[in-house]
Amino acid sequence: MKKPVLFALLLLLTAVGVFSCQKTSSGDPPSPNPSLDRKALLTQWADSLVKPGYQRFNDKLDILSAKTAAFTTAPTTASLVEARQAWQAAYLEWQKVELFEFGPAQSVSLRNHFNIYPTDAPGINQNISTGSYNFELATAIPQQGFPALDYLLNGVALNDAAIVQQYVASANHRRYLTDVVAKMSQTFALVYAQWNGSYRDAFINNTGTDASSSLSRAINAYSLYYERYLRAGKVGIPAGVMTGTSRPEKIEAYYLKGSLPLQLATTAHTTVQQFFNGRAGRPSLKSYLDALGAKDSRTGQLLTDILNNQFGVAFQRLNSLGPDLFPTMTARNADAVACYNEMQRAVRLIKVDMTSALGITVTYVDNDGD
Amino acid sequence: MGDRLRRYFQTYTSAAPLATFRMAFGLLVLVSVVRFWAKGWIAELYLKPKFFFSYYGFEWVKPLGSYTYGLFVVCGLCALLLALGWWYRWAAVGLFGSFTYIELMDKSTYLNHYYFVSLAAFLLVLLPAGRFCSLDAYRNPALRRSQVPRWTVDALRLLVGIVYFYAGLAKLNSDWLLHAMPLRIWLPAKNDLWLVGPLFNYPWVAYVFSWFGAFYDLTTPFFLLYRPTRAWAYTAVVVFHGLTAVLFPIGMFPYVMIAVALVFFPAEVHAHVLARVRGWWKQAPTEPAAELPLRYSRRTGRLLLLVLAAFFAVQLLLPFRYLLYPHELFWTEEGYRFSWRVMLMEKMGQVQFKVVDSATGWARLVNNDEHLSVLQEKMMSTQPDMLVQFAHYLRDYYARRGVHAPKVYADAYVSLNGRLGKTFIDPAVDLARVTDDLRPKPWILPFNDEISGF
Repeated sequence: MKKPVLFALLLLLTAVGVFSCQKTSSGDPPSPNPSLDRKALLTQWADSLVKPGYQRFNDKLDILSAKTAAFTTAPTTASLVEARQAWQAAYLEWQKVELFEFGPAQSVSLRNHFNIYPTDAPGINQNISTGSYNFELATAIPQQGFPALDYLLNGVALNDAAIVQQYVASANHRRYLTDVVAKMSQTFALVYAQWNGSYRDAFINNTGTDASSSLSRAINAYSLYYERYLRAGKVGIPAGVMTGTSRPEKIEAYYLKGSLPLQLATTAHTTVQQFFNGRAGRPSLKSYLDALGAKDSRTGQLLTDILNNQFGVAFQRLNSLGPDLFPTMTARNADAVACYNEMQRAVRLIKVDMTSALGITVTYVDNDGD
Repeated sequence: MGDRLRRYFQTYTSAAPLATFRMAFGLLVLVSVVRFWAKGWIAELYLKPKFFFSYYGFEWVKPLGSYTYGLFVVCGLCALLLALGWWYRWAAVGLFGSFTYIELMDKSTYLNHYYFVSLAAFLLVLLPAGRFCSLDAYRNPALRRSQVPRWTVDALRLLVGIVYFYAGLAKLNSDWLLHAMPLRIWLPAKNDLWLVGPLFNYPWVAYVFSWFGAFYDLTTPFFLLYRPTRAWAYTAVVVFHGLTAVLFPIGMFPYVMIAVALVFFPAEVHAHVLARVRGWWKQAPTEPAAELPLRYSRRTGRLLLLVLAAFFAVQLLLPFRYLLYPHELFWTEEGYRFSWRVMLMEKMGQVQFKVVDSATGWARLVNNDEHLSVLQEKMMSTQPDMLVQFAHYLRDYYARRGVHAPKVYADAYVSLNGRLGKTFIDPAVDLARVTDDLRPKPWILPFNDEISGF
């Protein structure tokens, strides 16, 4: 009795094997749904999101370089305004690439060199006066990048004329501004070159789901970005969610204030949602999750719909914090906290429900399925 | 019946299966220890974290700082001595002690196969596996025994059989059989595998794997015992565990099972293979022909059987302790460990702790990663007993930093087998004041769904 049963099962397994051979050798699409092709997804990310995004950012960074050089060569109110505009444009463009902190960006700690705030103004002043500094030191992280430029272009004196006067008078100021921009260009060039070189192929061919796979790294970077740098950094910390007292001076672009801080945050949020949805008809996280059939098995609602709804709610809350984030953090603190809470709901959907549905592992340690 | 039983307990068999089990088991544990060390896990899991999750009643078991490496040296050395059959009894005691100690240091590294290693090492402490084909017997031929009571070999078979059968029973639940969960999530994640990968995109493949897996676990011990099916069943063991080794990050477990399943082969096969291996070793087969049976004194024999009976009674009952708890086992995990529940859940969670000063109302949110390793945080976020333990650690940590009678609240969110995540425990309960014991935890929120079955 028993042998035939086992035999039948072995036969079944063999049949499965044969079936799979036929499928692949006949050149048919091997999967019921081509959206489950991780290589296609990674290729789309590399070629349509990361590389073009980095290219646009590179252009803006070049303009920033040129405009700050023009300003330091001949500091006038007009050249200051132009440098500031170039900084704003590059800062906004940065929001569209900051979430790609994996691979080359991760290995040079790109974010540490570009956007750690609040900036350390006393440290910057000391660097300027001593004229000696090393941007690779941990203490120098908040003394460089866009937040440092915010201080250098908007905060070193009370008004534009005084700022210009400062740069006219001080060679050390001119040098520090030049060095900060040069360091950014130099660091970014490393990342940009790798994506345009061999890393792109390495990225799209690492198609697994283990902790070292491209998907796992990209998703970890994505959820970390949304949780720590968008939810906490742009809203939670200035709103004082962690500590109970609002700290509006911790917002992004604090020295310029006005509409830019919120604009940076909404740009970042839109980028997060666009990365999720991709373009219609192209591989994306959304199409991949839909192809997996990821849904709430209690209600049958698609996970991607739930997540998009939540992104929408969080974005609306964020957008309502305008026009100027700085006074809002104190005057309408409850609104900022409410925004944080909606973002927290999205964090959970990303970190728990989405990561779980994707089947990616977060540690290298053995695990027998809990 | 009584007669048959008495005759059974007086039956003798070759000591060869015990010897092969001893050697294979010792070597695999040695490899496990070396691998664990080489991957840097000793430092990552036992030296770096500031806090460790103890087992109930074993709070005194802690990592030993840099001496932890020494513990692993002892463990590896005992495994080697055990394989060689050199100072056998001491090696078995040392292996059981050191390995179990290592496993008790931190709950977040709990794995069913580590538990199996501890249990098997415990049995080897009792069983006469060092009297044949061992350095002990070679150095002191008076110790050598080629025949042992049959029940000593059968004890190992029973342990392995329980592992399989209970793992199979645990799969008889609605998530596994009716929804093919969690394989339905895990298999598509492996669709880039050579040849068979594309198949994993089809849900029916997950069903085939689920049903076959349950059938396989439930029947394998019996097919291995029955001579006509044995060869087939062992082939299936190799193929099945080989496949799981490729598909899932379960480390040494597949190889351990492939090796220990050999114990089901009859004693003659083991004896034959060992004799042949010895033939390669020595130029002339000088195997003494005389069969030397190991005869226990009446008292020793009785005592051993009594201990084994108690051991197996616990083994058979412990996995059913979950019946003493009121709510869904997979959700609360009350009575989940030590029950051969393997690969049953895709469970993920996120937890945010809040510490509040009782006097001032001052509150702050905790960054878990400042205190825990990635693995610890992952494991804690879905297991209520670990949530309480960490809450107590936070209470003491903040009390030391001047917070008055800290209250600790956890906002935990957990998803299980494809269900959308939901709040896991009552966020209004002050975990600093909750005791962590074996009683049901009323502050775990209801699952609001049903998983029926074992």
